[in-house]
Amino acid sequence: MVKKDKEILYRRVFVWSWALRLFHWSFALSCAVLLLTGIYIHSPPFTTKWAEFKPQYLMATLRYYHFAAAYVFMAAVAVRLYLLFFGNRYERFTDFLPINRRNIRSLWQSLKFYLYLTDEHEWRMGHTVLAGTIYFLLFMAAIVMSLTGLYMLYPDVSWISKMGVALFGSLQMARFIHYILHWCFIFFVIVHLYIAIWNDFKAPEAIISGAFSGSKFLPAEVEED
Amino acid sequence: MARIPPIRMGLSRRDFLKICTIATATMGLPVEMVDKVAAAVKSSERPPVIWLHFMECTGCTESLLRSSHPPLARLILELISLEYHETLMAGAGEQAEEALKEALKKYKGRYICVVEGAVSTKDGGIYCQIGGRPAIEILRTVGEKAGAVIAIGTCASFGGIQAAAPNPTGAVKVSQVLSRPVINIPGCPPNPYNFLSTVLYTLTFGHPPELDDLSRPKFAYGRRIHDQCPRRPHFDEGRFVESFGDPAHQQGYCLYKVGCKGPVTYSNCPVQRFCDVGAWPIGSGHPCIGCTEPSFWDRMSPFYEHLPKIYIPAGGGIRVEAEKAGRVAVGAAAAVVAAHATIGAAKKVLKSISGKEKDQEE
Repeated sequence: MVKKDKEILYRRVFVWSWALRLFHWSFALSCAVLLLTGIYIHSPPFTTKWAEFKPQYLMATLRYYHFAAAYVFMAAVAVRLYLLFFGNRYERFTDFLPINRRNIRSLWQSLKFYLYLTDEHEWRMGHTVLAGTIYFLLFMAAIVMSLTGLYMLYPDVSWISKMGVALFGSLQMARFIHYILHWCFIFFVIVHLYIAIWNDFKAPEAIISGAFSGSKFLPAEVEED
Repeated sequence: MARIPPIRMGLSRRDFLKICTIATATMGLPVEMVDKVAAAVKSSERPPVIWLHFMECTGCTESLLRSSHPPLARLILELISLEYHETLMAGAGEQAEEALKEALKKYKGRYICVVEGAVSTKDGGIYCQIGGRPAIEILRTVGEKAGAVIAIGTCASFGGIQAAAPNPTGAVKVSQVLSRPVINIPGCPPNPYNFLSTVLYTLTFGHPPELDDLSRPKFAYGRRIHDQCPRRPHFDEGRFVESFGDPAHQQGYCLYKVGCKGPVTYSNCPVQRFCDVGAWPIGSGHPCIGCTEPSFWDRMSPFYEHLPKIYIPAGGGIRVEAEKAGRVAVGAAAAVVAAHATIGAAKKVLKSISGKEKDQEE
């Protein structure tokens, strides 16, 4: 842990490309819209009445926003999937998945750090392996969300219905999966926001502003990995 | 229009043309085709049909016969030459078995095999036997030599209630037993017009109608109930029935919140309706239960809720409402986050206290 009273030299390192930041914020905003409208579509908490003066098209409008946000979401996921393979070295899956000994050790280290078992923070240029693994799982969930969503939006388009029947069996099953997975995104939003803020206290790398600027701060003595 | 004389069994010409017109409309064909369909009914050789009953409730046959409005059943029975049908045939026992054997020999490769009900496969299929033979064996003998196989009803098409969990008899759908294409006419019960129109289509054009990915005729199961529902404007407006009998229900609002499965169910119910009296579930204020979809007993139930329950295979198996499970899990996540933050803060406070003590000692 970095002591408060000790003077530390930081150096600024550029990590996140403009494409990744674009992905991050379009993904975040579309998730927010999708979750809010999706919860309404699932079980409308407020409804309208026949006697109302002018038409509201409440459900139709919110569904429209849901679908519009869904396209942004799918585009963002497509960008991230591209970057998993062709992004800079910190954006590639090889950097942050537990696929080698060093990364597995880092995963263990982050877990201990988050469980207050150690104060030793591992300074990494890119994602920590724990974060990276969770992000990767979320991308997979996002793909399933996109496929179930497309199936529910265009059940009569030949190739989509073929894909839907092959993967999910029926529309009801797709709807069920779509609903169950939306909880994953709610968990993720809660935990992601919390950990981003928590990290800013524990290990001041300026990762929150880094999500805008693309660069973070590492102590000057930390070697480039 | 060519003059068509009344056909046998007291079916009037008016009824005959009426049914042909409805069936033609069901197939999605223009009114000019009514003559051709009617001509096909009259001129074609009546196709022999062997109708098998397996694990089912005979509801499909009952809805087909519909004794209160008989013309349709009359036409169907006129149209086909029913060689074997346990509910309708006069013969019984040995006599009936003999009729089946004879029909198999006489019409080999030409007859239509209509199956009603699911087929038991567990323990050699002994849970459904007719004349001492397991249903699966009968289906194999009759089905493989048929000219065409039609599965009528959800049990035959997708397994139905017999194949619902825990499925003690190992019930399966017809297409899982036979290694040949099967036309599915699902529904619990299916609309008899969908069956009639499928047969008429085949007679008129000489080939079966276009099928969807679940082998259902597209003319009948090509569109979602939700997309043709007369209550759809209420859905788009956000006007919903909250509970049965409330003012919203009396006003005829959308049944989405009381578990209507219209958005995930393919059928022509809103257009075709039932029993020639224009009745159908949503029209009567009851949500669609999705009976034309695969494994609807497992996935469409609870019928008055949106989604099936989550099955957790712990202990004897627990069923939880998806919504409740999600809320509990999110609540737990929030609690964990709060606890985590508290521990962190507490640790910091403790450390600063002990740090001060150290400073004082020094």
